[in-house]
Amino acid sequence: MLGAVVLVGALLTQWAALSRLPLPGSPPDLLLVLVVAFALVAGPAPGTLGGFVTGLLVDLGADHQLGRTALTYTLVGYLAGRVQYGPRRSILRSLLVVAATAAVGVSASALVGLLLGDPRIDLPAYRQSMLSTVPYCVLLTPLVVPVVGFVARRGDLDPLRR
Amino acid sequence: MRRPRLLLLVLVLAACVLIVLDTGAGPDSPFAGARRAADTVLGPAQRAAAGAVGALEGTGDGDSAELGRLQAENARLTGELLRSEAAARRAAELDRLLGVPSAYTTVPARVAGVGAALGFSSTVTIDVGSRDGVRPGQTVLNGSGLVGRTLRVGPFTSTVLLLTDPGFTVGARLAREGTLGLATGAGRTLTYELVEGGRVQPGDAVLTTGSDTFVPDVPIGRVASVDVGSALVTTAEVVPLADVTSLDLLAVVIEPVRSNPRDPLPPPPP
Repeated sequence: MLGAVVLVGALLTQWAALSRLPLPGSPPDLLLVLVVAFALVAGPAPGTLGGFVTGLLVDLGADHQLGRTALTYTLVGYLAGRVQYGPRRSILRSLLVVAATAAVGVSASALVGLLLGDPRIDLPAYRQSMLSTVPYCVLLTPLVVPVVGFVARRGDLDPLRR
Repeated sequence: MRRPRLLLLVLVLAACVLIVLDTGAGPDSPFAGARRAADTVLGPAQRAAAGAVGALEGTGDGDSAELGRLQAENARLTGELLRSEAAARRAAELDRLLGVPSAYTTVPARVAGVGAALGFSSTVTIDVGSRDGVRPGQTVLNGSGLVGRTLRVGPFTSTVLLLTDPGFTVGARLAREGTLGLATGAGRTLTYELVEGGRVQPGDAVLTTGSDTFVPDVPIGRVASVDVGSALVTTAEVVPLADVTSLDLLAVVIEPVRSNPRDPLPPPPP
């Protein structure tokens, strides 16, 4: 339940605040960081599923085909889950994992868009996204990981865990 | 759940199936119901969250408030100037044609969110929907000019495709010359393509021409540069008047243009 609250809260924060920030380049992607943080705590299988569910929610509010973000986040959740470290936390390690998976996420998203013939995706857009979204995600990590850790310690990761 | 790799494969396939089912389906998408449900549930929360953020923004110091006021004033005056340019041209035509510029019914809207798709999106969510009379395809503008058109409409919120999105195309004409063309989104600017030959020069104002749901004579932007190099078509880069990176108050034109907006010309005197 708490997990669902965090998820919806993050979604609203992303829409209402983060995407509107007057930052140079593309906006930060809070949901991606959330998926990575969750997968790091919970492991590959819940991470994969959590990524899928989160991506689907993002897709419902987006203007593109349903499933595009879900595909990206599923991949991100799986990859981050592979380097699971359980309760032992290292902030440096999570920063590295977020940076790597965000880069993979942006690339996968661009690739899917390219395959679907989305006219918005070209090399400059991809470069801009890589150079802005990835660092922003890394900056968000220290804010997100403790929250996810707190929820995890409460042992309440529904509905993402099972 | 013991085999994450299998799960990954299944979910990736599921996502692919969703994408394929949803591609090109438009309003007939099998997921239209799910989207409407999400709009209905999340829309009010999104509006509340946007309100909270707006309140935080409002508590800035006097300087930034003053700056915001002046920017809004400047945008309004620029729009007025362009409209008067178009009015001058129209006045000349009025000598020959009987006609009146139409007035439009609009609903005011606030931006409640910006589309988030890993940085590749050019849409905003506004806090009005079908309950306020908004329908897909309607004109969205602000004090300075055209902003975009409505794309997806939920009961409480709607998605607006911004005019800078490459998927956005609108009939356009030059305010001074009346030359017809098409304006297409190109990231931060628009590309204006002349239908027939015609003169276009930097600084020219570009207005919409209007269609069945789109209203005419909304200022789009000003020509920044002209590219005559490519032999057949003349294209120009148009910088939009509306700053799409800092949208706030918008208006949606909810009354479509009438099919016969003007009375027939009176018969010539005998």
